[in-house]
Amino acid sequence: MNYKLIVPGPIEDVEEVRVLEWHGTPGRTFAAGELIVELETHKAIVEVRAAKQGVLRRILCEAGGWRKIGEPLALLSDDPASPLPESADGLAAMLVEFEVT
Amino acid sequence: MASEMASATVKLFYREAIARAVREEMMRDPRVILIGQDVAAMGGSYKEFVGLFEQFGASRVRNTPVAEASMIGLGVGAAAAGMRPLVSITYMDFLMLGLDPLVNYGAKLRYKSGGQLSAPVVVKTTAGAKGQGVAHSQCIESWLMNVPGLKIVAPATPADAYGLLKSALREDGPVLYVDHKRLFPGAGEVPCVEDLIPIGKSILRRHGRDITIVAHSYMVRVAEAAADRLAAEGISCEIIDLRSLAPLDLAAICESVARTSALLTLEEGQIPCGVGGEIAFRVQEELGPVRVARVGALPVPVSSNPVLEAACIPDAERVCQAVRQILSASRNPVRNVSQ
Repeated sequence: MNYKLIVPGPIEDVEEVRVLEWHGTPGRTFAAGELIVELETHKAIVEVRAAKQGVLRRILCEAGGWRKIGEPLALLSDDPASPLPESADGLAAMLVEFEVT
Repeated sequence: MASEMASATVKLFYREAIARAVREEMMRDPRVILIGQDVAAMGGSYKEFVGLFEQFGASRVRNTPVAEASMIGLGVGAAAAGMRPLVSITYMDFLMLGLDPLVNYGAKLRYKSGGQLSAPVVVKTTAGAKGQGVAHSQCIESWLMNVPGLKIVAPATPADAYGLLKSALREDGPVLYVDHKRLFPGAGEVPCVEDLIPIGKSILRRHGRDITIVAHSYMVRVAEAAADRLAAEGISCEIIDLRSLAPLDLAAICESVARTSALLTLEEGQIPCGVGGEIAFRVQEELGPVRVARVGALPVPVSSNPVLEAACIPDAERVCQAVRQILSASRNPVRNVSQ
């Protein structure tokens, strides 16, 4: 099954975030609890961690890019070789845990 | 190619636009120093000074105690002695403590010394309601609009924060630079190459036919939200973002009102003796009677209760109501509505 990784929320007082750093390249498997990406808000860093195992397949917003809450950041899948759709539309959101520090 | 470079932009958080302006001016002019509470290692209450202490050190980026009168006094004195201080007063409410050095000394120094001395100091502060109650929410910029010798700017976008702060730091007299708490979560495009926004020039944010809305700072966004709603009803609003409150860009306001023949002033501060009252009167001095309304805070302190805070300060719906009311007033051409 394929998933989209979205900017998690709600985060109080946050409209938009900037991708600070990806912690892996497409092909990497993230176990539950592992840090996938760090996002920058106007005053804090958001650590986004996998809540279940998944393979990062395609990054949709590189470091330095901007996204609003709920917008897609990347595609992930259970199977590292499953065909990927063109767009993240309609995909289920990847389960994540996030912490604002 | 050159024109592409000139028009290229980079998206920055509001706070980053401020930091960039200060960094560039500190690099350009060794007389620019930054003083305020938590401005050094902490990088400012809104992180708007992050990196400056590390880059320029304690000789140019200095923390102060909670002592606003002394902070502004220090800034005015250092300016008179040849520095170009940027004094950060976190909340505009506490600017009141420093009005004596700013108004009685900074704004009058050039006049009092026959032009021999000047006080090129910028007092930067943050106004507006955002959940912090009676004494951390006020917009008192109109109090200071009748101080000769004092300039006042209030940006609404990261690009204007950047360009106006740079211009303020190059002024030869005191400038009050006003941010708004609700602007900090935002981000926006800022020119990649150095860009100064002239003090005293407004900007037309939206072209319209039926009414001119004049606003500054965060209220520009409220005006834009109201204009979107009114457009769905067939009402076309023109929006002028003042950017500077002193001096006022009266020519641009009058040019717009002459076309629309209706004026709505919008401010988050109190209506009596406010920005809007001044603009409404001066526009009519130039143009004669026009339909005019003022929208501002209700005449109560801003509560820390979010429901009461929202009830007190202007929102898009209140602006829409005022616009509908003024445009439906046909018999008396000068209808002064306070909302």
